[in-house]
Amino acid sequence: MWTRFAIVAVIAAAIVFPLFVTVNYFIHLAILAMIFMIVAQGANVIQGYTGYVSIAQGAFMGIGAYASALLSMRAGFPVWLSMLAAPIFTAVAAAIAGYPALRIKGHYFAIMTLAMNMVVFTVLVNWVSLTQGEPGLPSIPSPEAINLGFTEIAFEKRRAYYYLALAALVLVMWIVAAVVRSRVGRVLLAIRQNEPFAEAAGIACWKYKLFAFIFSASLAGFGGAIYAHYMGFINPTPFSADASLNAILAVILGGSGTLTGPLVGGALTVILPEALRVAEIYRLIAYGLLLILVVIFLPRGLVPAVVDGVRSISRRRKTP
Amino acid sequence: MKRLLGAVLSTALIGTPGAFAAEKTLTIGYSDALTGGGAVYGVPQKKAIDLAIEEINGAGGIKVGADNYKIKTIEYDDKADSTEATNVARKLIDRDDVKFILGYCCSASGGAMASFIGREDVIVLVGTAGARSITSLGNKNVFRTRPPGDYTGAAAGKFIAQQGVKTLGILAVRDVALFTQYRDSLVKAFEEAGGKVVAIETFGGQDRDMTAQLTKLRGLNPDALFVSGYVEQVAFSHRQASELGIKTQRYGFSGGSAEQFTKVATAEQMNGAWDLLAIEFNADVLGPKAVAFVDRYKKKYNENPTPNTAYAYDQVYVLRDALQAAQTTTDMKKIQETIRALPIPKEALLKYLPVNGRMFDDKGQAYIANGAFQWKNGNWAFVKELPSDAAAYSNFLKTIKD
Repeated sequence: MWTRFAIVAVIAAAIVFPLFVTVNYFIHLAILAMIFMIVAQGANVIQGYTGYVSIAQGAFMGIGAYASALLSMRAGFPVWLSMLAAPIFTAVAAAIAGYPALRIKGHYFAIMTLAMNMVVFTVLVNWVSLTQGEPGLPSIPSPEAINLGFTEIAFEKRRAYYYLALAALVLVMWIVAAVVRSRVGRVLLAIRQNEPFAEAAGIACWKYKLFAFIFSASLAGFGGAIYAHYMGFINPTPFSADASLNAILAVILGGSGTLTGPLVGGALTVILPEALRVAEIYRLIAYGLLLILVVIFLPRGLVPAVVDGVRSISRRRKTP
Repeated sequence: MKRLLGAVLSTALIGTPGAFAAEKTLTIGYSDALTGGGAVYGVPQKKAIDLAIEEINGAGGIKVGADNYKIKTIEYDDKADSTEATNVARKLIDRDDVKFILGYCCSASGGAMASFIGREDVIVLVGTAGARSITSLGNKNVFRTRPPGDYTGAAAGKFIAQQGVKTLGILAVRDVALFTQYRDSLVKAFEEAGGKVVAIETFGGQDRDMTAQLTKLRGLNPDALFVSGYVEQVAFSHRQASELGIKTQRYGFSGGSAEQFTKVATAEQMNGAWDLLAIEFNADVLGPKAVAFVDRYKKKYNENPTPNTAYAYDQVYVLRDALQAAQTTTDMKKIQETIRALPIPKEALLKYLPVNGRMFDDKGQAYIANGAFQWKNGNWAFVKELPSDAAAYSNFLKTIKD
């Protein structure tokens, strides 16, 4: 009951947010934050629910971004269709990479995914005829306007794009929630808790791990597509291993293996560096220090810490 | 009597131009790489902008109608990163409400900005960033002083062939638009002139050890080597080529000052190397105005200006002249048109090649001559001007949009 009320309240707050914001810059940050929340939610599926740390979210975000941009610019696909096709392209790439990668575990898997990210980054830089290399792809179109009869929604405008990103985030949250609450989600948790035990119980863990990896990558690809058509320009820089590490950080910061953790973590990893811009050259030091403090004092992340705090207060109140 | 005196004084004061000029502040935005790899260009560029603003403010500011504007800047570090640059531009436009943005030393940040800035009611005056798309996209509100990399690359390719080089080995940074566009254009021109490129070896943005690539190129025994990239990497390449005993002629493109090169390589290791670039800031070539600039820059910062400083310095004077000519600080369309028709400011340091008598062509691109510099006696010495056809390139630029 309370959970549903909280979800409705948060969505309602997100819907009215642009109406109260007079400075468009904050809408811009909100769009980037929502895109990054989608990417972080993908990282949460493989890292938080399955227990495998993937350092390739940046690469998959890049594949989605380039796939959608190139489909709309070179192949003449409508932007809406390109954006929907991007997660499929990413899923195919993840399936090819994930099948051999998931034969190994722990740190070895993480290192392998890091190598994947570096390979994809190098391909994006060097396959100039396709990606235009470091100069990047300029003039990526926004999604086609939607004509409602009485008004037209043009997605070049930030407010319209804000609602597009919000709708995408809500859709992603709904799908992820459905997956983690299904039998598949329970198997993923079992793999995280004790993979040999899950195998012994007759579960073909590799299938579920591969599914988690592909699903996680598709979400990153979807985020990448929304990013590309919002920014109007992409080059390989935002899809380096730094982006993957930021996604991991968002999951840890918000709360690994929780649905709302990546939302909080994703928002913080976008907004904190900007908020600290007043400190200019010291901002990254301040950002790093803040993160270290959070990891030391709130190792499970912000969301579980807050939930624990609220529960403990309510328990104290109930105690006579 | 008092009334009469008051009336006379009032009339006299009204008749005196500027007597009631209001002192106002014009806030302009500044986005550049102030940290990270691009800072080697961004920080000197910022210093040059600050110096130009200090000069303009010291000379009374910008006179627009009855008002007198003193310039103030709001500056942010874009780290030469596309997302950061977009965030900075959004912040400057949406939150700080600036109408003019200067800076952009690097291609990634400049390219990202150019991709959306056409929809904004601001004017951007780009300095050093060399990616072609910054102006080829055709935004009406973007103006750049540095010519794109391929404009200079073509002249460099012809020059190397004219030096009698038949086979060329290339060592170049892999992923920086300015350098890749320059390199592609150089290869095309060199091969059209009958030359042959034996190999193109590349290095990444963080690499400092190029001995593997140089060893391979040495084995191919080309007539000459060509090295391009950021200053530090090119300096390392020259140093390592010398350490490997490579005796062939070395050409290059980086645009670094002698001080920047000798931080990494010795003067002996640099001896005879060429830098083929648009004639950026160089006091020996540009004459007394440039010498005076060096004095002022050294006095303020206790260091020599780097070659790229003049691009941004000149842009501040472009802004001043445009505002004074347009007599407005708010009618952006009128200011854009004024800049497009603007002659070269008298304080400009670089020798611009006007297109149809104007500093900027239809796409907002300015051109300067290309030149060949050779390292002699511990410094870059100007050898000759390279053929630079600004009008032809401007026509070519009109035909592309990437």
